Amino acid sequence: MIAALFAPFGVAAEASACGTCAVGDPTLTVVGFEQPKSHRMRTSGTVRLRNDRIGEPHVDELRLAEQRLELAGAYSPTDRWALSVMMPLVHRLVSAVNLAEADIWAPGDLELRTRGVIWRDRKFAPRHLVSLIAGLEFPTSSIERDAQGVPLPLEFQAGTGSWDPIAGASYSMFSDPWSVYASSVAIFPTQGTADTRAGISFRQTALGQFQPWHFLAFQVGAELRLDQPGYIAGVVDPNTGGNITYATFGIIGLPHEKMLLHVTLAVPVIQRLSGHHEEGLAMTAGLVYDI
Amino acid sequence: MTSKLIVASALLSATLLPQCIQVTDGIEVDVAYQPAATPAQVRTDAGYSVQLHRALLAVGKVELIECDNFVRSLWRFVAPARARAHAFATPTSLGVPLVIDLMESAGTAQFAGTLRPPPGRYCGIRVLAMPADRDAEGLTDANLDMMQHSVLIEGQVEESGTGLWTPLLTRIWEVLQCEMWFDRPMVFDSPVLQNVSIRIDQRKWFNGIDFALEDSSAVQQRITENVRSSLRAVLPEPE
Repeated sequence: MIAALFAPFGVAAEASACGTCAVGDPTLTVVGFEQPKSHRMRTSGTVRLRNDRIGEPHVDELRLAEQRLELAGAYSPTDRWALSVMMPLVHRLVSAVNLAEADIWAPGDLELRTRGVIWRDRKFAPRHLVSLIAGLEFPTSSIERDAQGVPLPLEFQAGTGSWDPIAGASYSMFSDPWSVYASSVAIFPTQGTADTRAGISFRQTALGQFQPWHFLAFQVGAELRLDQPGYIAGVVDPNTGGNITYATFGIIGLPHEKMLLHVTLAVPVIQRLSGHHEEGLAMTAGLVYDI
Repeated sequence: MTSKLIVASALLSATLLPQCIQVTDGIEVDVAYQPAATPAQVRTDAGYSVQLHRALLAVGKVELIECDNFVRSLWRFVAPARARAHAFATPTSLGVPLVIDLMESAGTAQFAGTLRPPPGRYCGIRVLAMPADRDAEGLTDANLDMMQHSVLIEGQVEESGTGLWTPLLTRIWEVLQCEMWFDRPMVFDSPVLQNVSIRIDQRKWFNGIDFALEDSSAVQQRITENVRSSLRAVLPEPE
């Protein structure tokens, strides 16, 4: 069956060696979007780049350039259940209007997620999957402060520094060469270790994927983030909260049967963030390896 | 199995990484008040001797003044006005209230704070004297009345020739705006630490006043003007 799927492209592949097709579907998926398959294990390294500006220009504006390396592993004990763990390492360069800079390397918040398929249209190579998502972010990051000891804005922290439960649901549709992925996830931050409290964050993702060849797919989608304001020491951070929508454009490639590369560009198209807060382009590039 | 151990080890190691922060200071301007030493008696230019018992000044805000910038001035003209609290701190202003007791300062400098302005040309500094907030530095039980006054002067004046001492009491409630211009612009285009000293010469507060002829309101008006003109911003000598 697997060989048949790949035959038109002249690719020899053994079922056991092809992580993307072992689940009966050749769709290229990054970690978290895949179909659970019993004893499937994947690891990934993802680099995320983003820019952020908070504060009034020429007055109290802070600029952030962030590079985030996320190391993740995902394991499916059964065909309906997947567990993943992700640890971010974050490098941030925070620049103030007076040319002062803070160059920070720090761990972010460790994230543990589980996804359970609650409905699928058929057992082998399902075309429709509905899943529930639950997770927890651990307070492995620390709250950073500026030279005066004032905590940096929450948006500039590597993590929330709090125990943050995660809940959501997702829908996946696979119809080679097309696929669709949609998810709604909410994060519920609790009181942080440094008297911070990030607001509840709701994230909506909708992605469409076209895969004209088995080794290459193109994605286009939208990501919405809706945030409540955050608090530092009981005082509302005026530049937190609001909503932002990104248009996303991505490419996923399969240079090796066990390895997948992906690059995504996110362009902010609607920004209704509270206070003085502007987010710039964001880019994601990563590698997924099927063990 | 080996692969799983490697993955687990990598994730565990990542959680144990310590944070590392390197901070580079930017443009900083330290501001300090430098009052003159108060003599036992102040001799005025009109020949009077003034003996001070109390002389206090409450400062609410210090702000750097940018040199004329046509584009920015135009923008401020057309841009909607923004409301601000009276002592709002920004990179070009300090909103730290401070009560300066000129009888006790004895000519020593009092640190006002550090401004962190953006790159640009700054030609002067603006000081607002205003009644102190409850959390003003230098506010004590002995000078709580500075919560109602910008300037408070108590003393006595000796008329020239007669040797008669008459009481002097000046209370200024209004907000005094004092603009001082540097002898050269401060130009910032890279991180640097600069000092600005605001000199207060209270020995000049009573000049130009004929206490025998002028009524108390005229004296108060004259002292108010003198307080304004007694402040001077001084930059360190260029190296």
